[in-house]
Amino acid sequence: MDEESKKQRDDKSSLDPKRQAYPGQSMPVQGVPDEIDAIKKLLTEELEPWFRRDSSVQGRDARRCREYLDSLSDEELISQYNELRDQKVVWDNGYFYPNIKRLFMTPFEREKDRREIAVWERQYGDSEVVKWYQESRSQPCTWWIENHIITKHAFHSCMNCGLCTAVCPAAEFNDYNPRKIMETVQRKDEEEIVELLKADTIWFCVQCGSCQTRCPRGNSPFGLISSLRQLCQLKGYHTASVRGRQQYAGRHLWGGNYWNRGWSLYFRNPVVESNLDFGPRFARYFQNKEEIYRRVGGCPDMDGSMPGRKVPPETLHQLRRCFQVGGALHLWDQIEKYAREQAREWDMDIDDYLYKVWHEG
Amino acid sequence: MEQVVILGGGVAGMQTAIALNDLGIKSVLVEKEPELGGKVKNYDKTFPFFRSGKALVRELDESVKTSSLIEVRTGTEVSSVTGTAPNFQVKLTSADQKIPAGAIVVATGFEPFDASLQEEYGYGVYPNVITATELEHLLDFDGPTGGELERPSDGEIAKRVAIVFCVGSRSEKLGHNYCSRICCSFSTKQAIEIKERYPDARVTCFYMDIRTYGRGFEEMYRRAQELGINYIRGRVAECGMLPNGDITIKAEDTLLGKPVRGTFNLVSLSTGMVPCLDAPRIASLLGIKLAEDGFFDCRDNDLYPNDASREGVFLAGSAIGMKPIPDCISDGNIAAARAAAFLKKQVIPQGFY
Amino acid sequence: MPTVPYNTRAREKIWTRYIKEVPEERFLFLPSCVLGVGYPGTETMIPGIFDLLGLDWNWNLGPESVCTCCSGIAYHGDVAPIESTLLTTARLWSLAQEAGYDAIAVACVTSFGVHCECFDLYREEPGLKKKMDRLLMEACGRKFELPRHIVHVSDVIYQHRMKLGGEFMVHRLTDKATGQSLRGVDHVGCHYHKLFPLERSLGGAEYCEVLSGLVKAWGGEEVDYPERRHCCGMGFRQCMITPNRSVTTACVNKKLESMEPFGPDFMVTNCPGCQVYLDKEQWAIRELTGKEYFVPVLTYMELAGLLLGWDPYDVVGIQFHTVPVEPLLDKIGIPYDESKAWLGKDGQPLFCADEIRRATPAAGKAREGQLLE
Repeated sequence: MDEESKKQRDDKSSLDPKRQAYPGQSMPVQGVPDEIDAIKKLLTEELEPWFRRDSSVQGRDARRCREYLDSLSDEELISQYNELRDQKVVWDNGYFYPNIKRLFMTPFEREKDRREIAVWERQYGDSEVVKWYQESRSQPCTWWIENHIITKHAFHSCMNCGLCTAVCPAAEFNDYNPRKIMETVQRKDEEEIVELLKADTIWFCVQCGSCQTRCPRGNSPFGLISSLRQLCQLKGYHTASVRGRQQYAGRHLWGGNYWNRGWSLYFRNPVVESNLDFGPRFARYFQNKEEIYRRVGGCPDMDGSMPGRKVPPETLHQLRRCFQVGGALHLWDQIEKYAREQAREWDMDIDDYLYKVWHEG
Repeated sequence: MEQVVILGGGVAGMQTAIALNDLGIKSVLVEKEPELGGKVKNYDKTFPFFRSGKALVRELDESVKTSSLIEVRTGTEVSSVTGTAPNFQVKLTSADQKIPAGAIVVATGFEPFDASLQEEYGYGVYPNVITATELEHLLDFDGPTGGELERPSDGEIAKRVAIVFCVGSRSEKLGHNYCSRICCSFSTKQAIEIKERYPDARVTCFYMDIRTYGRGFEEMYRRAQELGINYIRGRVAECGMLPNGDITIKAEDTLLGKPVRGTFNLVSLSTGMVPCLDAPRIASLLGIKLAEDGFFDCRDNDLYPNDASREGVFLAGSAIGMKPIPDCISDGNIAAARAAAFLKKQVIPQGFY
Repeated sequence: MPTVPYNTRAREKIWTRYIKEVPEERFLFLPSCVLGVGYPGTETMIPGIFDLLGLDWNWNLGPESVCTCCSGIAYHGDVAPIESTLLTTARLWSLAQEAGYDAIAVACVTSFGVHCECFDLYREEPGLKKKMDRLLMEACGRKFELPRHIVHVSDVIYQHRMKLGGEFMVHRLTDKATGQSLRGVDHVGCHYHKLFPLERSLGGAEYCEVLSGLVKAWGGEEVDYPERRHCCGMGFRQCMITPNRSVTTACVNKKLESMEPFGPDFMVTNCPGCQVYLDKEQWAIRELTGKEYFVPVLTYMELAGLLLGWDPYDVVGIQFHTVPVEPLLDKIGIPYDESKAWLGKDGQPLFCADEIRRATPAAGKAREGQLLE
């Protein structure tokens, strides 16, 4: 760290908790225009539905937009997205990226994400982790239970004492029983396990870990369930249940955020319409989130270190590579594949399908 | 004349001495407490026949007193053992002189598990969570409450009682994988005592398995069920306390496959048993091995279950592993016979090492 | 108020079995996803408190070395296999080593849990470190070592609680009118104390002390109640995929029902997820059942910030809360200007006076019906 940055960091003279920059980040240059024409150019009437987030794109509009996007090559689509994403304006002593809010959670971003998986697979090939997961798809579930790194350590000889179910919050409120899941897996009956995976059952777990604390044999039911959920999605059994299908929503909510923003949640995600349970004060804040964020010292869609920040492309690339080498991209590919299959089976557009699985339950 | 030193003056140790006396062999009975009788001298009722533990110990004590060949040394412990069988030299903390011993019998017993180590039950923190030993005292007519089940927080008679099985046992997490064998039995006994004394009480036992075997035990379990004692198959996960001192319990009724919640006036933790705290020290003094579970190891689990891993040393009672009182008495007879045989032959058996 | 007290000395004997080593300073600070989304004031205060205490810390070192999410939510939301999480955390550990630190301090409890889970896997699987060395090099050309310390920011605050309370704080957790200690319910995130209680939780699983220690050090009183260890129900996919959120509401309701007889004045959390849902679901519970609990829920950082005398709206950000915090400020005697709640970054009002009044209801007089204008 250079002296100037150190000085900046160590300066306590005003005890200003609103730290804005990370050491080495350059401050904005004077004279940058406030508006950039390229934004306006791209938001034609044709493309406008792709930036709508409130409901699915249906029927006539979907066809028209899809025709347009199909006409672009993968590289064109991706570079158009990136260009929009990285356009910035000066605002409140920093750089503000105005288009991120137009891009997140749109059919446009999702289509780009889908195509980008193919581009990355072409560019980087399959890592050894991906190869293992590919192999596991052709093996029986019992093979996974014996070989997956998590299951190996999550589970050895359950004596059915019921301690896990006793403390499980999901078991209190749902028809769900972790002990029964452990017992089913323990029996190693392939048919029974497949039946379990095709049901809603394993999707009720809240992943709190209370079961792990209590188990007298040191098992981890929630770890086992995590592992079963992965297996379920790799094999495509999740589309057989209402709760399992919701994973398509997870793939785009978290996957989209990770891939494009470097964090699992984006400050614009909790829209009021889907979070009425949060009450009126939340709705008030959400209407003017950038201002209120800025007031407490955040960096909403800005360069900087504070909450809401945009992650620089260099770091984002490293994170993406971790996800690609680590097999997450491959998992998303599988989830997309099974979603496409089911959407086709139901004669639905893929974005209508997403809307459906996100709102059922 | 050859003599045997017996470490531990509980029922197993006392019976060893009595049996040796019957065989005409002298013994020195060493006990660290001021009185003989071990744990059983405090039990008002034993299982499965509800006989008096105190009376049993009184009877053994009488026999010991009237035996000419038993020398009793209370309030003392072993500080060193030198030599090899049949010429051991045992030094006690209370005397300077060394005692010669042809054979040694270890009957040092057990300790109840410290329930505060299973923190989720709140023992020590919540006043109305007690252990089985404390419950025993509450039910004792000669005890502090004259046999009334007065709960600690306010002295009210506890009418809704929960008994939690397997506290401290069958748990890898706590480092005690084994089953303590007698807790199902004494818990059932206590449940019966409560229900008979207060017929309108609700008593619930939370168990994993009911391990009441042997003559009279299954019958005792049946009697408990016929009295209306509730048995719920599910291990208790945690206890909490309400403002009025009542204890909340979380468990699963695994037979019905649903989580259950209960509120009780009093919760008794049926603590399992751990080896006596001195076991490692005694093992190293005597040069004998401890088994993986911490109790004393025997020479062969099938053929020589009462022989220690070293020649001339024998084992009796709970020091080897938990067992009911008749088995401890049995063990006393066995250890005496083995020691006597050893003294008589003074030959190292074939293939010992 | 409880009539039967529990034995505090016995409780202390239990939690003091679990004292973990927390370094005094020199750590890489890793911010959180959810905290930044729901309660950004908490996170912007963390550098301020670290600097106040004069700690040696760092975070985003340069454009290639910016902290990212640990991928915990992706892993527990089942869209990321464990290997990608292992790689993401390995990269973060590599950042710490780049800064010359052997400790990381995380602001999120899911993150804390995930770092500990990854660390534990290396211990359980012998060949894993070599494999991850290879994979991390392939992914982003970095090397990493297992960090010597993985701590949560609340551990650091706990470590310095006496200094903060003694030297810097201007308010105490006492009722201004009566002088009595305020009763604070501590809600420690599940992944902090339930996953590895022996090695990672300050106070163990049952009587976790990291938050109640803060409450006591700053003049308050801890509260024990039966559902204290109950999960808040956030549940990753359960709360974030909204049709499933009923389990979250039910869990929050269960906890509130259980704690009510013990008369809590506030709740304190160290997990962002718990903070969001314990706070926000209280509105839903009021709508669904008519029962208004409205126990203010604060993060440990907000509690510290308020007691340090930092501005409730400008710095701490209590306007982000669904359950009004103002009644608690009244109890403590912290001054605030309610008309300043809904101002923008330049002090310009964002809403008209009428709306401001409606948006900051005192407990018991919350506005019915209309949620959007």
